[in-house]
Amino acid sequence: MAAEHKPSGHIMIAPHAIATIASHAALSSYGVVGMASKNLVNGIARALALDPSHGIRVNTAQGEIRIDVFVMVEYGTRISSVARSVANNVRYQVEKAIERPVTAVNVHIQDLRISNVD
Amino acid sequence: MWIDVMTITNKAIEDELRLKLAEQYAVLDGRTFQEFLQASLIWLKANQQVVNSLNVFPVPDGDTGTNMVLTLQSAMEELNNLEEHDISDIGHAIAHGALMGARGNSGVILSQIWRGFARALDDLEVMNAAVFVQALQEARDTAYKGVVRPVEGTILTVSSDIASAAAKAHESGVDSVFALLEHVVEAADLSVQHTPELLPVLKEAGVVDSGGKGLFFIMEGMLRYAYDQPLDQPITEVQPLDALQINDAAETIEPGQDWEVVVDFHPQAELDLGRFYSGLEELGTSIQMGEGDGMYRMHIHVPDKSEYRTIDYVKNFGTITNIAIENLMLQVGGRKGVEDISSLELDEIQADEIAVVAVAPGYGLARVFASLGVAALIEGGQTMNPSTQEIIAAFEDLPSQQIIILPNNKNILLAAQQAVELSVKQVKVVPSVSVPEGIAAMFAYEKDGDLEPVAKAMQAALDEIQTIQITTATRTVEIDDVQVKEGQVIGLLENKLAAAGDEIQDVLDHVMEKAMLEDIELITLYYGENYTEEEAQKTAERMMSKFEGIEAEVHAGNQPHYQLIISLE
Repeated sequence: MAAEHKPSGHIMIAPHAIATIASHAALSSYGVVGMASKNLVNGIARALALDPSHGIRVNTAQGEIRIDVFVMVEYGTRISSVARSVANNVRYQVEKAIERPVTAVNVHIQDLRISNVD
Repeated sequence: MWIDVMTITNKAIEDELRLKLAEQYAVLDGRTFQEFLQASLIWLKANQQVVNSLNVFPVPDGDTGTNMVLTLQSAMEELNNLEEHDISDIGHAIAHGALMGARGNSGVILSQIWRGFARALDDLEVMNAAVFVQALQEARDTAYKGVVRPVEGTILTVSSDIASAAAKAHESGVDSVFALLEHVVEAADLSVQHTPELLPVLKEAGVVDSGGKGLFFIMEGMLRYAYDQPLDQPITEVQPLDALQINDAAETIEPGQDWEVVVDFHPQAELDLGRFYSGLEELGTSIQMGEGDGMYRMHIHVPDKSEYRTIDYVKNFGTITNIAIENLMLQVGGRKGVEDISSLELDEIQADEIAVVAVAPGYGLARVFASLGVAALIEGGQTMNPSTQEIIAAFEDLPSQQIIILPNNKNILLAAQQAVELSVKQVKVVPSVSVPEGIAAMFAYEKDGDLEPVAKAMQAALDEIQTIQITTATRTVEIDDVQVKEGQVIGLLENKLAAAGDEIQDVLDHVMEKAMLEDIELITLYYGENYTEEEAQKTAERMMSKFEGIEAEVHAGNQPHYQLIISLE
C-alpha cells in the first residue's frame, strides 16, 4: 500500500489501482500489441486483457513503488526504443495520477507478434 | 484594375509552373526519391525546435523533433551507403535504417511508416502515382498495426488522413506524384490543425500534435524541394503585430549577423508572402513578420553592409512608414557581465549541521538564498527543470549528513522527492512551490537542530505566505475559466491562473482582489530579467498607496520569464 501522510488523515492507494493505470499506459504505448501473462508457469501470453491490471506487477514494499510490466511487442519495431517509451509512459502516467514518485519501472518483453510480413 | 491583372498574371505563372513540375515529377526514380528524402530530413531538422516545443503527449519531454530527426538521419545514412538505385532498394534501405535508428515513441512510429511504405515499392524500379497512393496506404496500415490502442489526434491520424487524401485525388484523376504530393501536404496541414479536437490533452495545452507536425514537415520538405524553395531555415509564421516589438528582448544572435533591421510598411498590393520570404532568406536570418491594420512589420538579422539593401528590398513591396536599425554586436557586448550563480559565495556548513539546497531561477534570487544561508544552489525553474541526479550532485559533496531541499517550483517537486529515496543521506523536502515560499521557509531555518522539527518549522513558515507571479502567456489557452491570448500578461496566485490582460498593473490589481489581504503587512517584489527596477519601484509605490498599512519592498530577482514574483506576508 502506498501511503501519503496528510494532516487530516491518510490517502491509501492499492497496488491494484496503480496496476490499472500502468496497464492502460502500457497498452497505449506505441509498439505494444498486448499484455503478457506475468505468471511464467502458465506461460501462455494473452493478447486480450480481461483483468484491467493484467500483465502488471506492482510492489510497494518500504513505501517505494516498483512496477513490472509484461508486454508483447510488434515484430519489426526497435524493441529497445519501444521498451524505453513504455517505461517512460508508465512512469509518467502513474506519477501524474498519484503524485508520488515511482522508484522503478521494469519492462519485460515476453513475446513478439508478427502482424506484418515483409 | 492593374492589381487584378497582376493577380491573374501571377496565378497564370504559378499554374504553368505547377503543370511543368507535375510533368517533371510524374514518376519518381530511385535517385530523385532519394533527393526528396534528403530534403525531408533537412527541412525537418530546420524545424526541429518547433516540433520539440509542441511535445506534450504522451510524455511532455520536448524531444519529439529530435527523435524524428535522428531516426530519419539513420535512415538516410543507410541510403547513402547504397549502390543500387531502384526505388525498391531505396525503400528497403530507408525502412531498415529507420528501424535501426528508431528513437523514442515518434521515431518508432516513423520507422513503421517507412516499413509499410517500402513494402509497396517491392520489386519496382520507379514510383508512379498509383504506387505512391498504395505506399501511403500501406504506411498507414502498418503504423496502426503496431499498437493495440491507437490514440487519435497523433501522427497516426495524420498518416491516415494523408493516405485518404492521396487516394481521393488519384481517383479524381490526379496522376502525377508531384500533384499528389501537393494534396498530401495540404491534407497533412489540415489534419495537424485538427489534432487538438481529437486529443484533449493537446487542446488543454493549446498546441497541435508534435509527431503529426513532424510528419507534415517531412512531406512539405519534399514539396519545397520540387519547388526549389530554400530548406535550411524555418519559415516563421506571421504573428499578430503587437507580439512583435521593435525592442525585442534577448535574442540568439548568430555570427555574421551584425544588424537587426525592423521595417514597417504598407504593401502596394496583397503581399505575396512566399515571394517576399524567399528574397529575405537570401539577405539574412531570424526573419519574423507581423501583420495588422493593413500594414506589416518585418524583422531580420543581416550581415554588415546588407542593412540598407534590406530596406531597398522592402521598398519593392510597399511604402515604408518606419525603420529601426540596431547594431547587434554592440548589444552582445553589453550583455556580458550578467553574473553567474556559481560565482556566489555560500556559507560553509559543518558535518553535524543541517544543510539547505535551494533551486533558484536567476542570479538575483540565488543571491537572496545565499544571504539566507543555503549551502548549495541549483539553477532551475519553469523551463529548465534540474534532474534528480543534478539535485543529488548538488548536496552529495557537502560534509553535512542532514539535507533539506527547497524545490521552489511545482515541476521540480517530484525530482526532489526522488532524490530523497536515492540518496544515502538523510534528506527532507520542504515542498516550496514558488520562490517566495522558499524564502519564507529559509527564515525558519536553523542549522543546529534536528532535521524533522526544522523541516516542520520551515513547512509551517511557507504555509503562511501567498505568492503572486506575473509572466507572459506563450500560448492561447483557457484554464480555470480564465481566457488567455498568446502574448498577454498573466497573473498566477499560488500557482493558479488568476487573471489575464494586456497591462501588468491591471492584471496585478485583479490578482490582488482574489488574494487574502487580511493580516498582510509586507509585499516583496522580485523583478525579473524582462522588467526594470524603475517599473518595479513604481508598481511597489502604487500598491502601497492602494492598500493602506502595507509595506512594499523591491529586490532584483533576475529570473527569466517572470516579470514579477511577489510574496504577501
